Amino acid sequence: MRILVVEDDSETAGYLTSGLEEEGHAVSWSRAGRDGLFLAMTENFDLLIIDRMLPELDGLTLVKTLRAARIETAILFLTTMSGIDDRVTGLNAGGDDYLVKPFAFSELVARVKALSRRPRGTTVDTQFKVADLELDVVKHVVKRAGHEIQLQPREYRLLEYLMRHAGQVVTRTMLLDNVWNYHFDPKTNVVESHLSRLRTKIDKGFTPELIHTVRGAGYCLRAPE
Amino acid sequence: MRRNKLFHSSSFRLALFYAAMLTASVLILFGVTYWFARDYAARDENNEIDVEYASILDEAGSDGIAKLPAIIDSHMRLRKDVRGVYLLQDAGGKKITGNIPAMTPILGPTTLERPIDGRMLQIRAHGYRLENRDYLLVGQDTATLRQMNALILRTFAVEIVITLILAGLGTAIVGMTVLKRVDTVNRTARAIMAGDLSQRVPVRGTQDEFDELAAGMNAMLDRIEDLMRSMRQVSNDIAHDLRTPLTRLRQRLEHAKRHDHTAAELQEVLAHSIRQVDSILETFGALLRIAQIEAGGRVSGKRVIDVSSLLTGIVEDFSPAAEDRGLKLDSDVGSGLQVSADPELLTQMVANLVDNAIRYCPPGSRISVKANQVGDNLELAVCDTGPGIPPQEREKVLRPFYRLESSRTTEGSGLGLSLVAAIAKRHDARLSLGDNDPGLKVSVLFPMAA
Repeated sequence: MRILVVEDDSETAGYLTSGLEEEGHAVSWSRAGRDGLFLAMTENFDLLIIDRMLPELDGLTLVKTLRAARIETAILFLTTMSGIDDRVTGLNAGGDDYLVKPFAFSELVARVKALSRRPRGTTVDTQFKVADLELDVVKHVVKRAGHEIQLQPREYRLLEYLMRHAGQVVTRTMLLDNVWNYHFDPKTNVVESHLSRLRTKIDKGFTPELIHTVRGAGYCLRAPE
Repeated sequence: MRRNKLFHSSSFRLALFYAAMLTASVLILFGVTYWFARDYAARDENNEIDVEYASILDEAGSDGIAKLPAIIDSHMRLRKDVRGVYLLQDAGGKKITGNIPAMTPILGPTTLERPIDGRMLQIRAHGYRLENRDYLLVGQDTATLRQMNALILRTFAVEIVITLILAGLGTAIVGMTVLKRVDTVNRTARAIMAGDLSQRVPVRGTQDEFDELAAGMNAMLDRIEDLMRSMRQVSNDIAHDLRTPLTRLRQRLEHAKRHDHTAAELQEVLAHSIRQVDSILETFGALLRIAQIEAGGRVSGKRVIDVSSLLTGIVEDFSPAAEDRGLKLDSDVGSGLQVSADPELLTQMVANLVDNAIRYCPPGSRISVKANQVGDNLELAVCDTGPGIPPQEREKVLRPFYRLESSRTTEGSGLGLSLVAAIAKRHDARLSLGDNDPGLKVSVLFPMAA
């Protein structure tokens, strides 16, 4: 992927650039908002990673300007502004995801992957299939090897999210953000306990196992190679 | 300087205004009184003249015009002291008797100037044409009236002078008293600005508006001092609480540097260090969030929300985790309860309380999330049958970083309840910790959504 990082702190930018390059991405970096805007408008990127507080032109204005110019590149805000309002204003301005500093690099990698698979403005899928596991969003039905599986509402939303991101690592925070809409981290292992129940219903008695734990990173729903 | 200040003070100007109003009203009072008194005196005089004329005619009788000169002469003698004026002249204008010279007859009331006994006098008189065409003028000197007017004027002059002196004095006293009391307040304010936050405005106990002002200011200062003290306390606590993990981290890293380690061992040290930094960052995050909530930059998210479904949702989210720990989590929530709140903050508040209950309750305990209407309020409670908190500790656990002796070993920043308290305050809700007998009951009393 071609990624543009707009970040005024050179140490953070260096950390991002080298890390993302190790992951196999092509990364460009611009230090100021105005330069970032120019690059984003003139070149083709798959993803923009933008800090909110930038010299000359702040990140929020930059994103609003891009969206006003109908540039639909995926945007990830990466910022120290952690207020609940900040998150909402960031997403409303046209950001696709919002990650608060400090963050674990594995978290960033997972979110970057999730964004790369999310084409903006295309039609929405209503049916998902991973191996012999099927999920129909319209009928609200889940089947494994042809057998219908009863899920609690939260388990269903969890599975739907995993299936939409099949093959990708999703982190605990991504699940809390998107499935629970919790933008804080409960001490109780809310995610783990739901996941283990979902696993029992989906994987127990079936082969192969589809829900995998990725150590130190998160979870992944995938069919064996 | 002080004098100058007095003239510039608004209380002095106000008092001055009152003094001017007082003087003006005295003047108006005087004017009206004077005018009425003069009018009354003049009419009284005319009356007297008419009575005198009538009595002369009466004494003369029906055919006694011939006796008139004698009668007039006697009246003239009788009313010498009040300076009665008389003139009788025949139709040809020749004086028959009287104490003023003959004149061109004037009929009706008139004012003249004529010499009597060699002195020029102002006379108020009435001229009559008698049956035999003779002319009779009866009148009197206006000196009495003039004297009375002069007396009234003198009296009022004295009164005005006294009024002005008193008003001036009053103005100065009022101005200075008010200025003095305002000065006291100012001195206190300056002392506080100089850094002595323990200063208070003296209250005199008179319960007047100045006392009220002083009491109000003192209450405000108490609150500020309180806040300052708790701020200082918090920053002390932060310094303390973060020094411990940072010290440990430093020791660990230094130890790793000093000794030879295999790559795998170093990886382990690094992973552990990152976890430690994360936990410190988490504490900072929680502090920041509490500060944000307390700063009140979050009015925008407040709206009427369905508490019932929000609470059942949270209970459903936490139930599996509670079950895994051998706890029973259930809800006892009336349907259709509404409250005006920020859904995200309210969720975090309840989640924090449930979090706490799950972490501190031994297996087999029961945790209930309850909500019901109590009068005009909505009571939201998280109850458990766990170890509870001793009554004397309940107030303290709301403070940042405060942790019960018994819970020191449990993981946590000691900020969870502070965050709950901050969220409650943000919603004008009352947070209280009570006994669930056995266990802990944390209840939050929200004002009902309008």
